[in-house]
Amino acid sequence: MTPFKLKIVTPDGLKYDGMAEMVVARTTTGEIGIMAKHMNLVSPLGMGRALITVEGKQRRAACIGGILSVIGGDVNLVPTTFEWAEDIDVKRAEKAMTESKEIIAAKKDVSQTELKMAEARLKRALVRLGVAQDK
Amino acid sequence: MAGVSTKEIKNRIRSMESTKQITKAMEMVAASKLRRAQAQVDSARPYFRILSRVLSDIIKTNTDFESPYLTAPKTGKTLYIAIAGDRGLAGGYNSNILKMVYEKMAQSESVVLPIGKKALDFFKARKADVVSDAYGVAEDVAVGDCFTIAKNVAKAFKAGEYSSVYVCFTNFVSVLSQTPDMKALLPLQPEDDGEEAKKSEILYEGGSVEVFDAIVPEYLGGILYGALCESRAAEQAARRTAMDSATSNAEDMIADLSLKFNRARQAAITQEITEIVAGA
Repeated sequence: MTPFKLKIVTPDGLKYDGMAEMVVARTTTGEIGIMAKHMNLVSPLGMGRALITVEGKQRRAACIGGILSVIGGDVNLVPTTFEWAEDIDVKRAEKAMTESKEIIAAKKDVSQTELKMAEARLKRALVRLGVAQDK
Repeated sequence: MAGVSTKEIKNRIRSMESTKQITKAMEMVAASKLRRAQAQVDSARPYFRILSRVLSDIIKTNTDFESPYLTAPKTGKTLYIAIAGDRGLAGGYNSNILKMVYEKMAQSESVVLPIGKKALDFFKARKADVVSDAYGVAEDVAVGDCFTIAKNVAKAFKAGEYSSVYVCFTNFVSVLSQTPDMKALLPLQPEDDGEEAKKSEILYEGGSVEVFDAIVPEYLGGILYGALCESRAAEQAARRTAMDSATSNAEDMIADLSLKFNRARQAAITQEITEIVAGA
């Protein structure tokens, strides 16, 4: 496959800068796959798994929030958080999952915003666990 | 010389020594914090840059739509997001940025969102129109808070509350140089890099206006976070420099006082000898 330029940057730093053959990411409207010579595209990112193919090898990552843009053939993935599968802290994600589940279960004692935050946290934890455990 | 007793000088030297110890300790604390803040700035900078780049590309190549984020409403106030520190003793760090914001604020009808204790106190004392005092501690403001602020600001801008939004922060140029800076957030303006962009079509996955509206708060949050990182590093650098010069000032004064002390001591001895000799 023809490679293209890919940059992945988050507030924590540059996660990837180089050539790639394919990028699959979850946008707010569903999964999207980008290959070389894709037309200009801009889309907000949702929460989910991202697959990056580099030299025939596929790498998995948890990719949450942010922007995906393809301008003039260069792909920029600018998520809020991006963790390669091997970098995911499974214990922390599990802890976040049980804690946020508890908050959601105790619905009446918490405010609306707290509930929303717990739900978002649960979603993030589930994405991370899904990516980390999917072999 | 006779007016100052050796005891008085000794006391002054002692108090100067303890001041020097404090400034020295503060300098070292600032230096270690600076190292961490600098690493954070270095890792956040590419994000900052690419994010601005992406948005500016979108605006330049855009042919398809009008967005409320691109045009300034005729009415509404100017919002300044002022980022300063939580503590003083950082040279001109706090006063430089706050003075700049205050001067700008006087030019038009404006409101301010202070971040950091010094900023909050400054604007409260001057009875400025403060939007929220929720971010009184700059050190506790996390990435998530930046995105929350961005979302609220974007919503208010769309509702026509603000005619423009600026973020005021201190640019961390180097360890020795920090400059107060101001960046226009809304309405969005493309970066002026001299390139005349060719208008081309962009596919907006999910509808152009919806996509743009979803991206703008993300962009603002990212820029805000970048500004915060810059400011934090600048604060520690400014404090380090200020404390460094305070320490060397203290050293100079101690050297000066020691000289005076020795002179006074010698004068006393000479006087005593003269008295004894005269008596004999």
